[in-house]
Amino acid sequence: MEKKLIDIEQVKKVAKLTGLDISGQEERFVELFNETLNYVEILGELNTEEVGATYHVTGLNNVFQKKEDPANTLSAEETLKNAKDSINNLFITKAVFER
Amino acid sequence: MAYKLNEMTLLESINGLKKGSITSVGLTKACFDQIDKYDSKIKAFLTLTKDSALVQASDADEEIKKHGEKSFENKPLLGIPYACKDNFNTYGIQTTAGSKILEGYIPPYESTVTSRIKSAGAVLLGKTNMDAFAHGSSTETSDYMKTTNPWNYNKVPGGSSGGSAAAVASDMCIFSIGSETAGSVRGPAAWCGVTGLKPTYGRVSRYGLIAMASSTDSPGPITKNTEDAAYILSVIAGSDPFDATTSHTPIENYLKKTYSYNLKGKKIGRPKSYFNIELEPEIRVAMENVFKVYEELGAQVIDMDLLDPKYSIAVYTILQRSEVSSNLARFDGIRYGNERTAFGFEAKKRMMLGAYTLSAGYYDQYYAKAQRVRTLIVEDFKKAFESVDLIIGPTMPCVALDFGANESSSMFGELMDVLLGPSSIAGLTSISVPAGTGNELPVGFQILGPMFAESAVLGAAHKFQGVTNFHKEKPNLI
Repeated sequence: MEKKLIDIEQVKKVAKLTGLDISGQEERFVELFNETLNYVEILGELNTEEVGATYHVTGLNNVFQKKEDPANTLSAEETLKNAKDSINNLFITKAVFER
Repeated sequence: MAYKLNEMTLLESINGLKKGSITSVGLTKACFDQIDKYDSKIKAFLTLTKDSALVQASDADEEIKKHGEKSFENKPLLGIPYACKDNFNTYGIQTTAGSKILEGYIPPYESTVTSRIKSAGAVLLGKTNMDAFAHGSSTETSDYMKTTNPWNYNKVPGGSSGGSAAAVASDMCIFSIGSETAGSVRGPAAWCGVTGLKPTYGRVSRYGLIAMASSTDSPGPITKNTEDAAYILSVIAGSDPFDATTSHTPIENYLKKTYSYNLKGKKIGRPKSYFNIELEPEIRVAMENVFKVYEELGAQVIDMDLLDPKYSIAVYTILQRSEVSSNLARFDGIRYGNERTAFGFEAKKRMMLGAYTLSAGYYDQYYAKAQRVRTLIVEDFKKAFESVDLIIGPTMPCVALDFGANESSSMFGELMDVLLGPSSIAGLTSISVPAGTGNELPVGFQILGPMFAESAVLGAAHKFQGVTNFHKEKPNLI
C-alpha cells in the first residue's frame, strides 16, 4: 500500500520555492511525487550508519583558479545580448522592494 | 567506394581526405542530402547550420590542398561533418537544450567540448534534439518535437541524446556528440544500433554544457564504431581551467591504446544482479552470444556479485532531482531565455521534487541518505574491480519502446536506465556497443571499467567489433 508522503500543501510550497506556476496540475504532482518518494524508500533497506557521503567521485578538492589560467570574460555588450531589457549596460529586473 | 560518402566512418573519411579521394565539401553535402531526405521523418536536428558548414568545409579543403596530410597533425578532425547535442553552448548558434525557456538564446561563448572539436577542424552540421534539459530517456520530452528511431519510425530513439544517436544511425553525420548524466549516451546508442562512449566523470570538460546533474554529467561521442570513439576522445578529453572538476590524470592516445589492448587472460565480470531484473528474452540471447565471443577472444568470463541496480535508481532519482532544482534555479528570464512559465512539465516535476528532497526536515532522509548509498555503490565497484578487469552487461533491459511508454511511470527514465545508473553514480567509464537485433530493433551491450580505464573499455569493444559485424548493420531508411 502506497503511503502518502507528500500532500497538496507541501507541493504548493515547493512550487512557490521554485518559482513555478502549477495551477491546475497540483493533484497530478502530488500523485507523481508520492509514487517516487515511495519508491526511494528502498534505500532504507541499506544500513548506512557507518558510511560517509560521496559528493564528488574523483576525489578532487580545493581546486582554485590559478593566476596563469586564462579568464574568459564577456563584454557588457555580449553579456546583455540575450537580455529582454537593459539600460546603461545593466539588466532590468523586476522590483524586489516596493516603494 | 561501394557506399555513399555520408555512410563512411570517421577514420575512413579522414583517410579519404588525406589521400584526396574525397573532399570535405563533398562529405558535408552528402550529409545534408541525407538530412534533406530523411530528417522530416526522423527529426534529429533542431537547428541546421548549412551555410557556415559549407564555408568551414571549403576552408578545410583549401587547407588540405595546401598542406596535405600534415594538416591533420594539428587538426585531427579537419573537414569532418558532425552533429552536436543542443545542450552544448555554441557561439552565435541558437542553443536550447530542447527547452522552450531557451528558445532564441544565442550563446555568447563556446563550450570546451565544441571549442576543442572546432579547433580540431570539424564542420558543425547542426544541433540535435534531446529531452528538454536532458530530462528523459526517450527524447519525447523535448519541448519542440519527437525524434523517431531510424530503425522503426514508430519507436523512440532513446534519450536524452536521441537526436545525436538517430543522426549517426541514419548516416546524417560522420559522428555526433552527446552527453550523459545516467545513460543518455549509452541508452540511445543501444536503441539506435550505434556506439556510444561515456567517459569517466571529469575526463571531459563540462564547461558550457547546460547543466543537468553536475556531479555526474559527462560529455561523450556517439559513433559508427569504437575506433572513431577512441579518436574523438583524444580530441575532447583532458583537464580544463574552466571546469574545476576536470581531472589532471594524463590523457592517452586512445586510438593507439585501443588497437594494442590485449584481451587474453583478462577477467570479465558478469554481474548476476544485472540479469536478475526483468530483461526481454532477445536481450538475454544477444548477451549469451556476447559472452561467447569474449571467451573465444581469450577472456575469462566470471559470474560476480554487484549491488542490486534498483538502489541506484533511487539514489539517482534523489540526486538528480536535487541537483536539477539548483541548476535550473538560474533561469529567470532576465539575463537570457524566457520566463519560468516556459518550463515544461518534466522540468517542473524534477525541480520541485528536488527542492523538496533538499528542504529542511527532509534533507537527511533523502539527499544525505542518497549520498551515503552512493558511497556504497562506489565501494561496491572498487571491490569488484579487484577481482575482474571489466564488467559486461546489457545496456538496456529491452529494445526501443513505442511512443508514450514514458507516461507509464513518474520515474520512466530511471527505470529504463536501471543498468546505466550505477556506473554513472560511481563516475566510471563505459561504452555501449551493438550486439545484434531483437524484433528487428538494435540490442546493445555495455562494458564498464574503473575510473580512467577508457583505453581498456574501448580496447575490449574494438576486439568485439573486430570479429562481429553488428556495428555495420544499418536501418533500411524509408
